[in-house]
Amino acid sequence: MAERQLTQILTQLQTSASSLSYTDSSALLSKAKLLLLQLNALTPTAPGSASNPSLFSLARQVYEQGALASIRAKNPDAFLRYVSQLQGFYELEGTVGTGAAGGRIAGADANREEKNKVTGLYLLLLLTQGQYAEFHSELEALSTRLGGATRELEADRYLGYPIKLERWLMEGSYDRVWKAMKKGEVPCEEYGVFSEILTFQIRSEIASSSERAYPSLPISSTKSLLFLESEGEVVEFARSRGWVLKDGHIYFPSAEPAAEEAEQEKPFSQLVIENALGYARELETIV
Amino acid sequence: MPDKDTNKSGKQGEDEMTVVVPPPKNKQSSAQPTNDADGDIAMGDDTKAGEAEAQVDPVAQTISDIKSNFALLDRAVALFDARFSLRALRSISSIRKRLTADILAQVISETFSASSPNTQIAEHLLLAVDRPDVTLGGQPSSEMEIDSGSKSPAKNGGKKEAKEVIPEIDIFLGILAQVHLYDTKQFQRGFALSRFLSERIQSLNRRTLDSLSAKVYFYFSLFAEQLAPLPPSPQSPIVSIRSILLAALRTAVLRKDIDTQASVIVLLLRNYLLTSHISQADLLVQHTQFPENAANNQVARFLYYLGRVRAIQLRYTEAHEHLTAATRKAPSSACALGFSQTATKLLLVVELLMGDIPDRAIFRVLTMEATLHPYFLLVRAVRVGNLEDFETTIAEHEDTFRRDGTYSLILRLRQNVIKTGIRMMSLSYSRISLRDICIRLHLGSEESAEYIVAKAIRDGVIEATLDRERGFMKSKEVGDVYATSEPAEAFHDRIRACLALHDESVKAMRFPMNQHRLELKNAQEARERERDLAKEIQEGDLDEDDLGGDFEGI
Repeated sequence: MAERQLTQILTQLQTSASSLSYTDSSALLSKAKLLLLQLNALTPTAPGSASNPSLFSLARQVYEQGALASIRAKNPDAFLRYVSQLQGFYELEGTVGTGAAGGRIAGADANREEKNKVTGLYLLLLLTQGQYAEFHSELEALSTRLGGATRELEADRYLGYPIKLERWLMEGSYDRVWKAMKKGEVPCEEYGVFSEILTFQIRSEIASSSERAYPSLPISSTKSLLFLESEGEVVEFARSRGWVLKDGHIYFPSAEPAAEEAEQEKPFSQLVIENALGYARELETIV
Repeated sequence: MPDKDTNKSGKQGEDEMTVVVPPPKNKQSSAQPTNDADGDIAMGDDTKAGEAEAQVDPVAQTISDIKSNFALLDRAVALFDARFSLRALRSISSIRKRLTADILAQVISETFSASSPNTQIAEHLLLAVDRPDVTLGGQPSSEMEIDSGSKSPAKNGGKKEAKEVIPEIDIFLGILAQVHLYDTKQFQRGFALSRFLSERIQSLNRRTLDSLSAKVYFYFSLFAEQLAPLPPSPQSPIVSIRSILLAALRTAVLRKDIDTQASVIVLLLRNYLLTSHISQADLLVQHTQFPENAANNQVARFLYYLGRVRAIQLRYTEAHEHLTAATRKAPSSACALGFSQTATKLLLVVELLMGDIPDRAIFRVLTMEATLHPYFLLVRAVRVGNLEDFETTIAEHEDTFRRDGTYSLILRLRQNVIKTGIRMMSLSYSRISLRDICIRLHLGSEESAEYIVAKAIRDGVIEATLDRERGFMKSKEVGDVYATSEPAEAFHDRIRACLALHDESVKAMRFPMNQHRLELKNAQEARERERDLAKEIQEGDLDEDDLGGDFEGI
């Protein structure tokens, strides 16, 4: 009874995913979660005692829909909550798959797609939040789970995307990141949510490296450098970073680092004295 | 030394006899606390006797070897000194090769008498080695009497009836059984036995058991790793033993049981890393404190796993620190070669990731040369900054890197190769067009090259400026390193390392117990003598002759 109701809600969520507003979908989701609780399937149970594999996958799908909905609503906290709930399901998935082996292979494929989608989004979120340590930990875990098939990971439409982005960001090939975000390269609409954040991120990266790398820049070419639409935007951006505009060129304020160095000069001699005194003390204890 | 034995090997002659004779005195008194020096002599003679007996009967010899360890364990309990149990554990490696189920069964049946309350344990052990029908309390068989028969009256026989078998001995037998099962690949059986042993250890609270229980957990986790499904799968039994290990860790911390604490932390880390639960491993490290004076081998292992976690988390500086320490702490003997090879491989990759080029000498060490060859090629590609070479090396040795678990780290090296390439270019040209950079480094496009170079300038990889209008990179003059504080810092680092080494070696020294009391007593006496002397001088009736005489008396 409750199971049928659950399936209904799920299909509603899946078919009209993009048209539903966040409040509507979250109302549906909380209803679904209540039903899961009644069925005692809110948390993944050990594979041996799992009474019903279909219930297991139902619960998982509810969480997956929840994760996607919260991404669409740009609610990273809710998304992270759903992802951590899903982790348990993914860990146990292998056993359930073998338990209900046979005719469900096609279903398993669909499952994997959703799973990769959510995991890919999770990776992307970590990337945009600058949590590189977690990003790589997750990546390592993924490749071990797949038996070390890193190539397979990269080939996957959803998982490969954040991996490639990370590599380009690290390298500094910002133009490739830019291209990947445009021209319909984005694997699905949920990924588009991050494009804005990423654009902002790479723009400030480029700006900070330009400050060091160029003595001056003509405004016209800065437009393409920073992926901005018009020269007016360039001027605005330059103001926000405190750059000086003069005869069609941008000059970067460079006095600051010099002042810093001068300040550092003083403690250096102090440091030498401190070290020498330290050695003397240590030597005394030895001799 | 048993008399009959020397009769048998009569050919050895009188000289040998005189060497062999003294021990019985030690043996007989070994039930009482003897000092360390005596113990050492006894050990030496045992091995010498072992050589003589080996020709006679290896089975009997092994049995007596095992039993000689019981005396050590007895002494460990009596003196409350863990060194004796450690010595017993160390002898396992020599016994290991000669161990069979029959030998174990015989030892067990002779050690436990049928009436003792510990029969249940003995039965468990017998079941584990697949000899459930052996009866307990068996008297040494006729053949046995030749060797151990003469030995056991001396130290075991007399008190066998009188004294209970101490838990240390049955755990020791348990470890032997574990080792045997592991060597004969009976993992399932070993797993069951280990579970039983760990439960028993949990129920006992004896400080003298610490080093033994650490070993039990070690084999427990080894068995779990060997059972299907193998580790990377989340259903592997190693996941199920985590709670047992965590419980053991809790108890060990509460009891200040350093041995178990150290080895269980290491096992847990290994466990998490096998299933790539990096964040869990990180949390474990954050919330536990690795005991400072743990055994050296455990420290080395701990540092290696910690280095691995840090490397995955991109905290290369820390990883480098831990891994360097791990490679230095690794035992230099051949038996730990595998460990130092693995640690060195990881260290090399981390060094590369930090932008350093490892010393070429590492690759020339004879024991390392072959295994490190793929890494050598890798280092060469990174050093030159040749992206093409780098990628072919990865493709060629992919399997090796995967097996070593360094593959995902190596993939991160790509940006370092590019950076090195840019650095080489900036050093060799004072001005170079972006197009040339793009062609030489095999980058996608000129724009990519521009962004990459700009990033490199910001990260401080090179000292240069870009000219966007004309599209070239202009290198700045390289500054004099000796004008900066860098040499002083390097110097300071080295001095600090030397001082730390000195401190550690002072701390590592061992002093005999209670020796300082003796010195205090001597000092006290000397002071009293001095006072007497002073008194006599004050009284005035003391001349030079008297003084000299007095000193002779002392």
